[in-house]
Amino acid sequence: MKIVKTNIYRVIAVPLLFVSVSNSVFAHTETGVAGGLISGFLHPIFGLDHLIAMVAVGLWGAQLNKPALWLLPITFPVVMALGALAGIAGVKLSGIEIGIGLSALVLGAMVLLSVRPPLWLAVIMVGTFAVFHGYAHGAELPEAANPLAYGVGFVVSTGMLHLLGILLGVLTRWPIGRQAVQGMGGLIAALGLYFSAASLGFIA
Amino acid sequence: MKYKGLLWFGLLLPQWADAHLVSTRFGEFYAGILHPVTTLEHMVPWLAIGLLGGLQSLKLGRLALILFPLTVLIGVWFGADWGGEIGWVKTLNLLSFLIFGVLVLMAKPLNEVLFIGLITLFGITHGIGNSASDLVGNQFMLYVAGVVTAAYLMMTLLVAASHQLIQQQLWGAVAVRALGSWIAAVGLIYAGFTYFAAAV
Repeated sequence: MKIVKTNIYRVIAVPLLFVSVSNSVFAHTETGVAGGLISGFLHPIFGLDHLIAMVAVGLWGAQLNKPALWLLPITFPVVMALGALAGIAGVKLSGIEIGIGLSALVLGAMVLLSVRPPLWLAVIMVGTFAVFHGYAHGAELPEAANPLAYGVGFVVSTGMLHLLGILLGVLTRWPIGRQAVQGMGGLIAALGLYFSAASLGFIA
Repeated sequence: MKYKGLLWFGLLLPQWADAHLVSTRFGEFYAGILHPVTTLEHMVPWLAIGLLGGLQSLKLGRLALILFPLTVLIGVWFGADWGGEIGWVKTLNLLSFLIFGVLVLMAKPLNEVLFIGLITLFGITHGIGNSASDLVGNQFMLYVAGVVTAAYLMMTLLVAASHQLIQQQLWGAVAVRALGSWIAAVGLIYAGFTYFAAAV
């Protein structure tokens, strides 16, 4: 009987101990470097329209292989920065959301259909779409608590998403992996179609 | 039950008091080390300078380990006399994001004179950017020693890491160039914010 009692006490004590552990409060709003860096880093990740397009760049680069494998992910952040400049400067550019949606649709379709255009054309396509993503980030930049930290955050995050796409693109080495990557392209294109339709007002 | 005594003993252990101010003794040395590595305006271009050093010949890479901390020392010293970071120095430091980012992105070994000139110029400007005019006497010396130590440590680690990555890994050169593109992009955005946002 004694053994049973001991076990019950143990069973109760452990949950009790965890229940009594207090949570951190997080009572302060994000300010300063942390706010800028973290919010910049999370923006492309939590914005599904940004996320899928940036992963698509990596996937397409992996499908096209060298030199597109590294040229596309290097082109994107640099041209994105030029788009951000336009956003910061307050240049009026219409159809930003449509452009972002289309970027996912078109890049996803390229991956789905495994399209292999000349390198210069792939670079121009990726660069053109990067302008829309950069503009969206740049327009928010002046409001950031720390604009430099915000900029570092979203550039690093963009690069990591390209890297994720490239890593997923390694699957193209196997026949079934190639189909899986094309499937991911299809999913990205479908989501891109949804975002494009939503930004055009066809979907509420 | 056997370890009950040990548990109580553990609970009775006192916490560290931390009763002394960090600003006494070697405090400013740590402040000097932390200033460049916790300020993105310096840390990001220093990262690019280190990566660029790894892309050069071994001779130039090794030279950067000595030249950069030395020029930072000169900058911190003069900057304290001038009262800290002045307008044109801030502009040059801002440009250093772009210049070094693009050079890393291009990943080409530079002419010896150009490389030494760039390291010297931007070592001095970043030194001025890290200067502290409100420290006097020994505290200033400790602070300067801290900044120079940070410059040396960052250069050593980054030049070595960059060189090894490029030499040892097939993907190393691509990774370094990608980092260069990120730094150039950050430089473009930051320069744009500094000059355009103020005008809007």
